[in-house]
Amino acid sequence: MDLLFFASTALFAIGICGILTGRNALIFFLSIEMMLNAANLLFVLFARHWGNYTGQMWVFFVLVVAAAEAAVGLAIVINLFRSRQRVDVDQFNRLRE
Amino acid sequence: MDIAMCFALFIPLLGFLFLVACSGHIQRHSAGIVACSTIFLSFLTFAVLLGISLYTGQHREQVTLFNWIPMAQMKADFALALDPLSFLMCLIVTGVSFLIHVYSIGYMEEEPDFARYFAFLNFFVFAMLLLALAGDLLLLFVGWEGVGIASYLLIGFWYERPKAAAAATKAFVVNRIGDLGLLLAILLSFHLFGTTNMDAMFGQAIHQFSPDSMTMTILTALLFIGAMGKSAQLPLHIWLADAMEGPTPVSALIHAATMVTAGVYLVVRMHPLFLLAPDTLMCIGVIGGVTSLFAALAAVGQSELKRVLAYSTISQLGLMFLACGVGAFYAAMFHLMTHAFMKALLFLSAGNVIHMLHGKIDMKDMGGLSKVFTKTHIFFLIGVFAMAGIPPLAAFFSKDLILEQEYEAGFKTLFYIGITSSLLTGFYLMRAYCLTFLGPLKIDSSTPRSLNEAPQVMLWPVGILAFLSLTAGFMGFAFGKKPFLERFLAEVGVTLSEPLPPTDFIFSFETWLSIFVAVLGVGGAFLLYTRFKGLLGSPIAILQRAFYLDEIFWYGIAYPLRWVSKFVGSCIEPKIFEGMLQLVAHSAQGIAKEFQKLQNGQIRSYAALMVVGSLFLLLYLSAI
Repeated sequence: MDLLFFASTALFAIGICGILTGRNALIFFLSIEMMLNAANLLFVLFARHWGNYTGQMWVFFVLVVAAAEAAVGLAIVINLFRSRQRVDVDQFNRLRE
Repeated sequence: MDIAMCFALFIPLLGFLFLVACSGHIQRHSAGIVACSTIFLSFLTFAVLLGISLYTGQHREQVTLFNWIPMAQMKADFALALDPLSFLMCLIVTGVSFLIHVYSIGYMEEEPDFARYFAFLNFFVFAMLLLALAGDLLLLFVGWEGVGIASYLLIGFWYERPKAAAAATKAFVVNRIGDLGLLLAILLSFHLFGTTNMDAMFGQAIHQFSPDSMTMTILTALLFIGAMGKSAQLPLHIWLADAMEGPTPVSALIHAATMVTAGVYLVVRMHPLFLLAPDTLMCIGVIGGVTSLFAALAAVGQSELKRVLAYSTISQLGLMFLACGVGAFYAAMFHLMTHAFMKALLFLSAGNVIHMLHGKIDMKDMGGLSKVFTKTHIFFLIGVFAMAGIPPLAAFFSKDLILEQEYEAGFKTLFYIGITSSLLTGFYLMRAYCLTFLGPLKIDSSTPRSLNEAPQVMLWPVGILAFLSLTAGFMGFAFGKKPFLERFLAEVGVTLSEPLPPTDFIFSFETWLSIFVAVLGVGGAFLLYTRFKGLLGSPIAILQRAFYLDEIFWYGIAYPLRWVSKFVGSCIEPKIFEGMLQLVAHSAQGIAKEFQKLQNGQIRSYAALMVVGSLFLLLYLSAI
């Protein structure tokens, strides 16, 4: 139980670090998925701990949303690549103007 | 009768709305016909109403259409009152307006903005009727401002001329001073009586205030300031001479026959209040007398035909106030009526000349025109004689009544002032006639090739006015009993200060004196300007500039004001007010610039900030 809790936290921390340090947009996605799954793990964990299965049900929602997000996000990444020939997020800062 | 009254009031407004809506799509011909026919219908309705009221003997009709400012404390009714006084005023307004509308069709024939002109003219008639019919002081003020706007729009009708635009602005601004007086009078009377309904005011005033009370003096003085602005009395007369920049029919209608008499009408309409304030009446008499003499002197020095007539108007209005000053309100109204006919006649005859000379207004360029204007010059001459007071033409009766009243009331000084201005009236009008119509015909390069008499459409209205000027005086004349007009107006209390015995129409000393000065003025000018023209130099400068009052106002009031505004505009405004505003703006901008740095477009820094923010949120949540 504790172990799994730590695993989830670690997973989340790795995700944050990936976002803060990585430059590649694909690494971003990877990190985001990781954080989502860290949250999923916690849902399952606590659902089991309290004997209440609502949390497990939420996991499906999260999965669905994650899938949708991945689809949209990958489409964006592909379009970015087409226009700039690269996926380095630091290059894409034109929107602030 | 109510419906007919409303019809007569609102049909010029309908004409105005129609012309405004259709100007641009409507043919010139039909615009003129629409405008004339609305006024004619209005005139006809009033005439029929007069007939009915004389037949039934019921001379007072009041109708309240609605309450147009519904408030708990305040009752501002749209109340119309048709009594002998407003009957007289409405008939003068619509009658003279109709003639001038017809005349305008000829005068404005080359004007591209035909429909706009007639729309404004119709609007003027509506506002003037509203002013005359109002039974409520606040409603009267609406009409009062309406005629002011119409006057402004029509003086500035040729707005592309800088002089006309400036004259319009001047008229508006000077009138505003008078309007302030009237507005204060309305507020004060609301404070005193709790209503602005005239009948209620009169009823309460007589019970509440003893004659000569301070409150009444202030209230009537404020009312008179309003009248001074509209009727161009000293020192608020400066706008009227400049108002001659407008088209001549407008000068005839608004700035001679009707609108400028609104001040006299106001004083006569409110006479029950004025009778409670003898001090104000005295003041009115003095101002009227001085104005009359001053304007008559100024008229002698003018070189533009229309300006002579403008100063003559100021002078005659002064005479009307002179009559009001001794309480001879009937004499004032009588002179108002005859003056409307005579002055419209003079202006329209002058308009004929100006129109056929294509806008020449200076009498230096005229002369010998009687050979061309065979009819117009006779009409003008009738106007001159009528105005000068040659018996038995119109002003002989009306002006003499005023002078007689002055004499009877014991104001000898004012009487002699009136006599002097009467002498000058004959003089300056005859001078204008001689300079314009007699002497050698002057033809220069700017004279139109074919100089003709004015067309029929312009001659007929002038002819009718000439007939009225010849005969209108007899309305105030009767053997053996009081004249009809006097009896009619007496029903609303508009009477003379010293009622004359009904049979007494003898040629007393004052009558002889005034006939003598009239003949002297006219004859003197005739001899001087035909036989002894060599003796004359150019007009005296001080008279020509009307005693430099215009300049005094410019340098005494307008320039210092302008200087103060410039100082405020160049020093106080940019340094103090703008500085404060810029301080606020700059500090907000500075703060924003610091925060702007956070928004650098780098997605990773956003993410980092989000993480930091979430951490703070977590800390905060765990702390509580």
